[in-house]
Amino acid sequence: MSLALIVILPFLGAMLPALMIRAGRNACALATGTATLLAFALLLVHAPAVVLRGEVVQAGWQWLPGLGLNVNFFLDGLGFLFATLILGIGLLIIIYARFYLAKEDPMGSFYSYLLLFQGAMVGIVLSDNILLLLVFWELTSLSSFLLIGYWKHLPEGRQGARMALTVTGAGGLAMIAGMLLLGHIAGSYDLSVILQHGEAIRESELYLPALVLILAGCFTKSAQFPFHFWLPHAMAAPTPVSAYLHSATMVKAGLFLMARMWPVLAGTEAWFYLVATAGLLTMVIGAFIALFKDDLKGLLAYSTVSHLGLVTMLFGFGTPMAAVAGVFHIINHATFKAALFMNAGIVDHEAGTRDIRRLGGLVFLMPISATLATLAAASMAGLPLLNGFLSKEMMLHEAAHTAWAGQGWLVPLLATVGALFSVAYSFRYILHVYFGRRRDDYPHPPHDPPAGMWLPPALLVVLVVLIGLFPETMAGTLVRATAAAVIGGPVPDFHLSIWHGFTPALGMSAVAVAVGLLLILSYPRVRALWQAGPHPEAKAMFDATLGGALALAQRFTHGLHNGSLQRYLAFAVAAMVLAGFVAFSGAPHEAGTRALLPMQPVAVVAWVLLLGGCMLTVVFFRKRLLSVLVVGTVGLIVCVAFIYLSAPDLALTQISVEVTTVILILLALYFLPKESPVSSTVRAQPLRHLRDALLALAAGGGMAAVSWAMMTRDGVSLSDYYLENSVSGGGGTNVVNVILVDFRGFDTFGEIIVLGIAALAIFALLDGALHGRVGRRLSAWTPDLPVSVDRHPIIMVVATRVMLPLALLVGAYIFLRGHNQPGGGFIAALVVSIALIMQYMASGFAWAAQRVRVKYHAMIGGGVLVAVATGVGAMVLDRPFLTSAFTHVHLPVVGEFELASAMAFDAGVFLTVVGAVMLALANLSRMGRWTAHRPVNKMAMDVDPSAAPYREHH
Amino acid sequence: MNAWLVAPIAIPLVTLVLCMLWRRNPPLVAALSVLGAAALTVVGLALVGKVADGAILAGQMGGWQAPYGISLVIDRLAAAMVAITGVIGLATVVYGVSRPGDPAVGRDFHLFVQGLLTGVCGAFITGDVFNLYVWFEVLLIASFALMVLGGGARRLSGTVVYVFLNLLATLLFLLAAGLLYGATGTLNMAELAVHAAAGEVPAGGIVAVVLMLLAFSIKAALFPVFGWLPASYHVAWTPVSALFAGLLTKVGVYALIRIVTLVWPQAGLAHEVLLWVACFTMLVGVLGAAAQTEVRRILSFHIVSQVGYMVLGLALATPLALAGAVFYLIHHIVVKANLFFIGGLAARIAGSERLAAMGGLYAHAPWLAILFAIPALSLAGIPPLSGFWAKFVLVKASLDTGAWIAAAVALITGVFTLLSMSKIWNEAFLKAHPQGEGALRRATGSAPAYAAVAVLAAITVAIGLAAGPVMAYAVAAAAQLADPSAYAGAVFAAGGR
Repeated sequence: MSLALIVILPFLGAMLPALMIRAGRNACALATGTATLLAFALLLVHAPAVVLRGEVVQAGWQWLPGLGLNVNFFLDGLGFLFATLILGIGLLIIIYARFYLAKEDPMGSFYSYLLLFQGAMVGIVLSDNILLLLVFWELTSLSSFLLIGYWKHLPEGRQGARMALTVTGAGGLAMIAGMLLLGHIAGSYDLSVILQHGEAIRESELYLPALVLILAGCFTKSAQFPFHFWLPHAMAAPTPVSAYLHSATMVKAGLFLMARMWPVLAGTEAWFYLVATAGLLTMVIGAFIALFKDDLKGLLAYSTVSHLGLVTMLFGFGTPMAAVAGVFHIINHATFKAALFMNAGIVDHEAGTRDIRRLGGLVFLMPISATLATLAAASMAGLPLLNGFLSKEMMLHEAAHTAWAGQGWLVPLLATVGALFSVAYSFRYILHVYFGRRRDDYPHPPHDPPAGMWLPPALLVVLVVLIGLFPETMAGTLVRATAAAVIGGPVPDFHLSIWHGFTPALGMSAVAVAVGLLLILSYPRVRALWQAGPHPEAKAMFDATLGGALALAQRFTHGLHNGSLQRYLAFAVAAMVLAGFVAFSGAPHEAGTRALLPMQPVAVVAWVLLLGGCMLTVVFFRKRLLSVLVVGTVGLIVCVAFIYLSAPDLALTQISVEVTTVILILLALYFLPKESPVSSTVRAQPLRHLRDALLALAAGGGMAAVSWAMMTRDGVSLSDYYLENSVSGGGGTNVVNVILVDFRGFDTFGEIIVLGIAALAIFALLDGALHGRVGRRLSAWTPDLPVSVDRHPIIMVVATRVMLPLALLVGAYIFLRGHNQPGGGFIAALVVSIALIMQYMASGFAWAAQRVRVKYHAMIGGGVLVAVATGVGAMVLDRPFLTSAFTHVHLPVVGEFELASAMAFDAGVFLTVVGAVMLALANLSRMGRWTAHRPVNKMAMDVDPSAAPYREHH
Repeated sequence: MNAWLVAPIAIPLVTLVLCMLWRRNPPLVAALSVLGAAALTVVGLALVGKVADGAILAGQMGGWQAPYGISLVIDRLAAAMVAITGVIGLATVVYGVSRPGDPAVGRDFHLFVQGLLTGVCGAFITGDVFNLYVWFEVLLIASFALMVLGGGARRLSGTVVYVFLNLLATLLFLLAAGLLYGATGTLNMAELAVHAAAGEVPAGGIVAVVLMLLAFSIKAALFPVFGWLPASYHVAWTPVSALFAGLLTKVGVYALIRIVTLVWPQAGLAHEVLLWVACFTMLVGVLGAAAQTEVRRILSFHIVSQVGYMVLGLALATPLALAGAVFYLIHHIVVKANLFFIGGLAARIAGSERLAAMGGLYAHAPWLAILFAIPALSLAGIPPLSGFWAKFVLVKASLDTGAWIAAAVALITGVFTLLSMSKIWNEAFLKAHPQGEGALRRATGSAPAYAAVAVLAAITVAIGLAAGPVMAYAVAAAAQLADPSAYAGAVFAAGGR
């Protein structure tokens, strides 16, 4: 339980600073510190068991047992070391940051992010489940993104944060894959189980991919070459962040994981060549670049890269003793580097600059800081009596015994070179900042900072010295406990001490110190030499890579997606052709078995007309009115085909839909240009037109072929069932109608909803168009066609009036007979609508609108409600939705007739359709009023035939 | 039994009609709309409860036995989809309340949202191919109206692309449905599954199914037929585009999952093709997003890429992969809609949705920043938010089946998604507003919008933390999908005349 609490405390604490900041900065820092301190205390409670007795503390719950993710924590020597670093240094950083942050910096969010990060870090090192570890791993990337970008006003902060997130995030994702593979091999995601299966894992064929992917995560996180470049750019963060994340903790997460996985993954050739090589290169390259950095934090950043490389290399060697050295160096590096980062922050804070070229001679102005810096940097250089010396010696010792590809001299040489540069930049830090000529052009007059800022690094420097003097007493037990956990077996016998006698390592050290000092003493000349050479800038490369990818993305995206409707349609149609073709040729098929019918002359004529109509549409597509007419022919031929094939219902529907649609389109066309604009011609873009023509032919041909295939085969259908059950079950002899309102009434139900919504949409669009900008444009628009003088011709008015009752009667007739004879609610509704629309056309919108008592909206709504009610009625009687019922009724005069619930449903259809069509058409004709620029007529006609002659005499 | 089946369609439909009848009273319309969406949510959750034990609700409309009438079927997946539709619908109408602007627009908004919800729910629960077409039409016609709501040239031109491509897809669907009936003599999905299981689907039927899947792919915005989506989604009014972003493509994905699992429960050639399509969709979408500089355009391309993940799950066809697809579907709907909502709020405060013209939101509206961070990180797949589990399961399923490329693509897409989200974060939230603090406006009257956004964010967090039960449900839903005979059995057992 207390293990989980160690992880949870920082997360819980993360809410405190945001709240406590109202109580002041001290309270805020205090709250943050308390959370960390509590967690630290809880950790130390376990120290005797873990460090002294070598026990492993465990605690766990299930989270996603199905996936093998358990919230299992365990604490062993390795976890203890890292947790100590994280919480201990964290505590110091919290104190330091309290004094470092300026008044205008939002301290609450800073501490919140810091604790989030801390919790995530502790989570990583205590996780006993690799999936859980991944969760925390990603959280560190994220919280570090927030911390690096903390100074919102700095663009380099934002860019650095994003770069860090990209690189470590990408590595993290690779690691997910690696961990999944690892779990796949081991059969469990629990670390304690995986650690038992080292042998099996190393022998698995998935070992190499898993290793590479996991290392990708480790290397990116720990800034190993070639992923080292993000770390220096993360230095745009406030210094406490750099000290904490980028020296002591986060960048060591990669090392931690390598250490954690050491018993499982290490010991193979692949491990050695991947890890040791990357570490070696990183160590040398990082140290080399650090020497020429003028920004203090830049110098420290590359130095960190270099030291991380050192540890990586040690782990890469794969020998137990190298692992011991690695563990020891982690401790030492954390102490001196965090102290140095804080020191750099102090210089920046007090002198106002971190540029080494503008610094120098600070030793007299800031004696305390100078002392601390000198000790810490000397440790970094690896001078004796300080802790850096000890682990460096161990490293050199291991390097001296390692051959790379059979070359025994390579590793020792490069290790010495790395150490030499390390000496050089360490001395540069001491000499060029604190010693040398005293200057008077600092941006701020420098002096030592308040105790709150120098005490935390001082504490670390004390450790540096103490471990350096009494290594076995101070760190021996911890190193042993940790190394035991890393090695996962017996720890080699070793004794941490300053003097090992005259060993090759000592010689290498001496050379490194001597040449390093030489380098720094002749720094101007070295610098000039360096200046002359090439300077590959990793950030530029990263930006170029990213930029290149982006440009590629843009070009690619543009190719697919350039906003041109034609292109999207071409893609869609091409996909259809391809999919249809592949599916057809992929499935087994034989020629159809049905005998072909002889060609009837009527059919041929109709076919020719149909084809001609389609072709003419293509030819005349720019002349809109003409196209409508030609498309109308197509519709009529379809209607004829229905009649020819004995489908009177469909023919009736088709013709009435055709008429209604044409009226609708004509009304709309009135407001539109009479010809489509010419956007492209065949001559200008022959290839595109060729493409479109080919696509059209292929798609049309494909459709024809599929239809042919369909019609030459005997299919099964449901028709027989419908024919049999239409009368007995549906109570109607017109099967088509029974299908529409009963068998598949639910479809019709959906379709009337479509129609209703369509009408509402048209209404909303036109209603909206009549207001605002479009409305003003409309009223300023003059019709581009000659307008008839006689808007409401008397013959039309009279004829439509006469026809109205007739049409209504026909509508009623069609409706009533629908269930048994061709007809039905839908067709009836269209007939009635056409009759009504004629009134609008004959006498104008205003006249007609005055006489309309019914609200079309209500008609649509009512229709849908009637249909719903019919359906629900059945449910009230405990039948499924829309179940029909019918009965025969005998009335004295009328005789016997049938009453069916389907009729009520059909009535709903009727109402909806009339309402929808009328709402749409009426509103289109209402638009005409806006453009007419003439007084609205109150009468049915413009002239009153009875009054006109008299008026003329006056 | 039957009332439960019809309720998901009837509730939004009746709400629509009532809204229409009281259309002269916009506040009442809004209230009715919110009430209706809330009722739908409740019913959806109740349905999830009813089917959680593995029962499949089925019934015949009109009482005609399958395959002669029309069947409605609610299994675990359908129930979850109805519930999530209710949630997003509710969030959308609540968000829509916050800024009526033009009262007529506000009123019509509620009408058409309810229409859209009717269609979406219908599509989720129907067990009949042609009936599915009908519900597609319903949601499509409502979406046309919603997209163009508020008018303006930009909106119209975007809508034209949207309408054309969707009509084309719908037409293709209709053709395919006709072919399917011609070849197999049935439109009933359950019977289709029975035919398929017996290996009795003739070549024409396969062509029909493939064309139908292509139609769904256009709706789901898969590569290479996704073009309409990023060309149109950013023009609509914020709550409208959020609703679309959440639900519309997912109806296509749902239909893909439904038909593919019914016809081909075992992996085959179709799955292979889908796998490649999924990979390209993920990559192309995310690369497209990288090239964008407006919030909603970025987000639109991410819809495309995220749909790829769901199809990946479908293509891998293992129980775990299908579960991943289902989990992804649920997670994504919430996250995506929320990001569009937040994008709208951000644009309202910053006065633009071009990243270059935005900024300062972190300082000005810290709560909005936090609310953005949650779905954005979830989208990118950062643990422990919902998106992580969704991606995790799919990557695991890919690795388990040896689909290395798919796993790699899924992971790389994750990196780019994270990049995109950090781009929005840096540009819109972190950097200072180019015109100074003064340019940031107060989002007055946006309390309901914030409430909607906060609830959706809470759901994202909850799905992440309580991933166990949600994943268990997804696994169970996937198990149902993998066994079409149970689906068919339920439909035929539902009886009828």
